[in-house]
Amino acid sequence: MPIEVRNLTHTYMPGTPFEKTALDDVSFTIGDGEFVGLIGHTGSGKSTLIMHLNGLLKPTSGEVIVDGLNLAEKGVSLRAVRERVGLVFQYPEYQLFEETVVADVMFGPKNLGLSEAECRARAEEALGQVGLRDAALWEKSPFELSGGQKRRVAIAGVLAMKPGTLILDEPTAGLDPRGRDEIMGLMKDIHAAGTTLIMVSHSMTDVSRLCGRILVMNRAKLTIDAAPAQVFADEKRIREAGLTLPPCAVLAEKLRAAGFEGIPREAYTQETVARAILAALGKGDAACK
Amino acid sequence: MQMTIGQYFPGDSPLHRMDPRAKILCTIALIAGVFIAQNLWAYALLFAFAFGVIAVSRIDARFIVKGLKPILFIMAFTFVINMFFTADGVELFSWRFIHITDKGLKSATLMALRLVLLVMTTQLLTLSTSSIALTDGIEALLKPLSKVGFPAHELAMMMSIAMRFIPTLMEETDKIMKAQMARGAEFESGNLIQRAKAMLPLLVPLFVSAFRRADELALAMEARCYRGGQGRTRMKQLKYSRLDAIGAAITLAVVVAAAII
Repeated sequence: MPIEVRNLTHTYMPGTPFEKTALDDVSFTIGDGEFVGLIGHTGSGKSTLIMHLNGLLKPTSGEVIVDGLNLAEKGVSLRAVRERVGLVFQYPEYQLFEETVVADVMFGPKNLGLSEAECRARAEEALGQVGLRDAALWEKSPFELSGGQKRRVAIAGVLAMKPGTLILDEPTAGLDPRGRDEIMGLMKDIHAAGTTLIMVSHSMTDVSRLCGRILVMNRAKLTIDAAPAQVFADEKRIREAGLTLPPCAVLAEKLRAAGFEGIPREAYTQETVARAILAALGKGDAACK
Repeated sequence: MQMTIGQYFPGDSPLHRMDPRAKILCTIALIAGVFIAQNLWAYALLFAFAFGVIAVSRIDARFIVKGLKPILFIMAFTFVINMFFTADGVELFSWRFIHITDKGLKSATLMALRLVLLVMTTQLLTLSTSSIALTDGIEALLKPLSKVGFPAHELAMMMSIAMRFIPTLMEETDKIMKAQMARGAEFESGNLIQRAKAMLPLLVPLFVSAFRRADELALAMEARCYRGGQGRTRMKQLKYSRLDAIGAAITLAVVVAAAII
């Protein structure tokens, strides 16, 4: 179920003094089962881009093709598109509205026209997926939960629609380190279960931890589209995009510059860099930990 | 979302630079003029003046036209009512119970023109004045009333807060709508009851966030020692200039002329 974006351009409020081009001739394809990190500074067009992927925004020009469905064409069922591409917005906990947690998660499946029993089953499955297995929690009001729990309920609300592709906009924003780790773990699990994932972020560290491919947006343009190791090798372009390298990649680079040439470019996460340093010092994997 | 009434169109024209108090007073005078004006010539004069001000302000005329759209229905309605229910005058057209007289046609036209003029003049005020300047102006104009216990400052503060949050709440509405649409919600289909029900997933989060924002704002204001208007000074003092005198003089001349013709 690939997503194809061809020469996508989007202009907000054309013909007024507030006119702004948010996307300028963006093209890429995302294949099944990929885990893509979409990264860029504030206002670079990331959010506008993802809203095109499930038909919430219409292109000013260019096209978006999801699973063979051209979203710009008339008569394409938006419901069918939204069933395929799930979108979790930034701070999704602010979309909760139902009286109970489980009823809120059932909202999406209900809109797909599924039976009550099927909705309930999907909601329970999705809540289990996000780690909220305690059935006592399900009947509580979503407003009684903690911030991290609310966010997981909101993510479950999209997961319950069983999208083939899941897009998360800044899923870890405003969470404490533990909440951040939980969400990252959750994304890893969802990806492992076969869902294509797109994570939007402005943190290179978060993106480098999980993603196999990174798209960098800079001022409405897609400037880099490559695997993390290649992306991090081109520090100049990253700086141009208003971003910084993840600290571990910086450390590896400095060590290489200081003469430890054995540290490979493929090492950029905490774990791989640690292993590479140990290897360079002549100590085995056993010393890691 | 389309809403041009109450929207500010940034610029640096003489109209933009006028003191908000002067602009408010001129607008009130013009509104009075619109109601005093009784014949087409007076209306022609007022329209000419309004177009002149639009030209001076360099505000995109499309914005003014867009602002007129919401009142189109009211205009059509008053036009029809006036046309059909004015009985006296020379009959021009008659069919069963419908009688159209020359007087009816005239009053219907004047009524429609009056509505257009009212909206145009008030729009010129809001399009050329930022909401902060506008509330400052209102507060300054209402200040004398605070001697008799009228809460001028509080009223102005409430207005400016309300106006400040219109765009924020609209943005928020848009965000929540999109989030619910991503979960398959539809806001634009179905009958009236279905539509009302469909608003629930939008309204509940909107209210929750509005209350949260109100709380945060109250805290932030208190943290900066806000204690009401007493003894409060302003960073931007309102000052009348020559421009205001000229503007007021022209406006007054137009209104008087419209009343006399």
